[in-house]
Amino acid sequence: MTEGTTAGQVAVRVQGLWKRFGEQVAVAGVDLELPAGRFVGLVGPNGAGKTTTLSMVTGLLRPDHGSVEVVGHDVWRDPAQVKARIGVLPEGLRLFERLSGRELLAYTGRLRGLPGAEVDKRATQLLDVLDLAGAQHKLVVDYSTGMRKKIALASALLHNPEVLFLDEPFEGVDPVSAQTIRGVLERYTASGATVVFSSHVMELVESLCDWVAVMAAGRIRAHGTLAEVRGTERSLQQAFLELVGANGRDTGSDLDWLGGGAR
Amino acid sequence: MSTVTAAESVTPVVVRLKLSLLRNGLRQSAGRRAAYVASIVFVLLFAALQLIGLIALRGNAHAASVTVLLTAVLALGWAVMPLFFPGGDETLDPTRLVMLPLHPRPLVRALLVASLVGIGPLFTLCMFAGSVIAMAHGMAAYVTGVVAIVLALLVCVALARAVAAANIRLLSSRRGRDLAVLSGLVIAVGAQLVNFGAQKLGSSGLSTLDPAAEVLRWVPPASAIGAVDSVNEGSYATGVAQLALSAGALAGLLALWQRSLTRLMTSPDGSTLQAAEPTRDTAGRSSGLSRLLPAGRTGTVMERSLRYVWRDPKTKAAWVTYLAIGLIVPVFNALQGTGSIYLACFAAGMLGVLMYNQFGQDTSAFWMVALTISSTRDAYVELRGRALALLLITLPYATFVTVLTTAMLGDWPALPEALGLSFALLGAMLATGAWSSARYPYSIPQEGYKNAAPGQAGIAWISIFGGMLAAALLCAPVIALTIWLHVSAGGEDWTWLLLPLGTAYGAGLTLLGLRLSAPRTAARLPEILAAVSKG
Repeated sequence: MTEGTTAGQVAVRVQGLWKRFGEQVAVAGVDLELPAGRFVGLVGPNGAGKTTTLSMVTGLLRPDHGSVEVVGHDVWRDPAQVKARIGVLPEGLRLFERLSGRELLAYTGRLRGLPGAEVDKRATQLLDVLDLAGAQHKLVVDYSTGMRKKIALASALLHNPEVLFLDEPFEGVDPVSAQTIRGVLERYTASGATVVFSSHVMELVESLCDWVAVMAAGRIRAHGTLAEVRGTERSLQQAFLELVGANGRDTGSDLDWLGGGAR
Repeated sequence: MSTVTAAESVTPVVVRLKLSLLRNGLRQSAGRRAAYVASIVFVLLFAALQLIGLIALRGNAHAASVTVLLTAVLALGWAVMPLFFPGGDETLDPTRLVMLPLHPRPLVRALLVASLVGIGPLFTLCMFAGSVIAMAHGMAAYVTGVVAIVLALLVCVALARAVAAANIRLLSSRRGRDLAVLSGLVIAVGAQLVNFGAQKLGSSGLSTLDPAAEVLRWVPPASAIGAVDSVNEGSYATGVAQLALSAGALAGLLALWQRSLTRLMTSPDGSTLQAAEPTRDTAGRSSGLSRLLPAGRTGTVMERSLRYVWRDPKTKAAWVTYLAIGLIVPVFNALQGTGSIYLACFAAGMLGVLMYNQFGQDTSAFWMVALTISSTRDAYVELRGRALALLLITLPYATFVTVLTTAMLGDWPALPEALGLSFALLGAMLATGAWSSARYPYSIPQEGYKNAAPGQAGIAWISIFGGMLAAALLCAPVIALTIWLHVSAGGEDWTWLLLPLGTAYGAGLTLLGLRLSAPRTAARLPEILAAVSKG
């Protein structure tokens, strides 16, 4: 761990972020500072605004209000600095699926401006590590969900970004692929890089992340280290239900039987 | 015995099922009901007109040729239709009946009878009835006619069902869906050919049909209608043989249909098979193409664009359609003697349309591009790479079409100016295409035949037609110069100048268009991504 160099630094700084789609407010004023060198989890139920937030943070969606800084550079005013430093695995967007896995990596790496030989070397290693070497000449359109996530992760890692944004990287992924992805991500953060990933699976976030931001209905409900957010609750799941239930009915105990986190 | 009772009970059930599905479908919305009624009225009117036309043919020496050809064309339509509307008939989708304990034979019988309910069979019935009325003379011929109508109609319906059943697996796999998208251009090119054929027919009369009919009267189901003519002429043996041929075809089709139905209902679906299939995709083997392309972003973008021309069904369909139309229009017009060397510019104009909506062709995968564009320069190189990939094919192709048209017209002195005009137009189309790609992006749905997502068709039309108009206006100086050289005395000697001038003008326009589009692209990345992610 390179705690000494990255501790206390801010990887992502979000201020007053708003996004409205017609009548519906997807993100309602998010202020957030994500620490560098951590495995950061953005958790929340479906429709909480996680994907919208991540899209705005990575420059894929223009916010109505607010500013986003990634490693000290403004996403909208200084895109060159930001885009070179981030890797993104979005949710719900296609890849260039009529390329084979290897071609997709070659394409992405070269678009990123890396030298061809270096791209090919890194692609080979990533394909090996992610267990895709056997399918590297198959078109991505014929890949399974797990394989798609892995090839998308590979293209997000290819240029060795400082901050990696992953939107639901484990959604629909089989356990074997999930374990592979996990291994790669753990190795990546161990070297001091930052991973920001969204999920609605609390146990996953709990087991992977050391820093968590809880999102619901377009707002950040809590953030901090895992221990801080969990507080006195036994699990993140319970803490989360408490947080979300705060403005609803008496949900703390009612929702207990819904989540699987406690047992 | 049990199969007979099953058939007796299944057939009316399936027919009733079809009728109630039809009724319920219409009950859902007034718009749908109106559309259905309108289409019935239209089809009946059309059928009535055709019927009158056929009856008017009665006594014409070539009546038999027309009816035999008509039958063959109708049968072709029936064969092709299921490929275009695979989900068109719910009751006949056998995968919905998989869980029912039905034997194939009664099922086939029931589905066949149910297939006869609808506008399509009614229309076909009218056509066949008209054909028989147009030809038959005497009792024997009419009796043959009634048998022929029933046989031909059954063959048509069975053909459609057999083709659909045989292709359900194909249509539900990825490759099949790719193919279905491609088949749209069969219609596009086919329409051109039919148009050409109709013009030819108009100029030289019905007798041109005779040789084709001579062959087709032995091909089922046209042979059944042909039998009426044979009986007319007293050759009863020929008539019976022709009817037998159609009956045999019907039996064969039913057997084929039954076999694919059985296979369909007793084996896993296509997706499972495909996943189990060993990978033998050759994709990714280095084609050597990359070594010929320039290094850096330009070559990378070009390589991806060119790969997509071949591998992406939507892109491929667009390319093949535009390549075909760009060739057919000038060449066929030249063939018919109505050609003009300037029609060769059509190829350049058509292919230039492919520059439009570049980012829509990426679908939501555009995010991968958007994440690597961080300056106007990046956007410029991206657009330039795409334009270069396009030019790599269109430039030689436009040249080829122009030279071919010139050769057919024998108007060699006009070649330089035609080439110059073509290149100027191509340049203008690339320029306006790049600009509208940045300004008016829209989604291209990957499934089906639509080329714009719902609600975006307006943008698509405006951008393409507005762009074509703008391109024509941009070319006005070159066009004006051409006209001026032709009307001024001694100007004809200088028309060769149009080749270098037109080429330079086109290149200049393209560069200018790319320069103007790049900042718009770079500034509107999120908006473009949102616009192209709807499909």
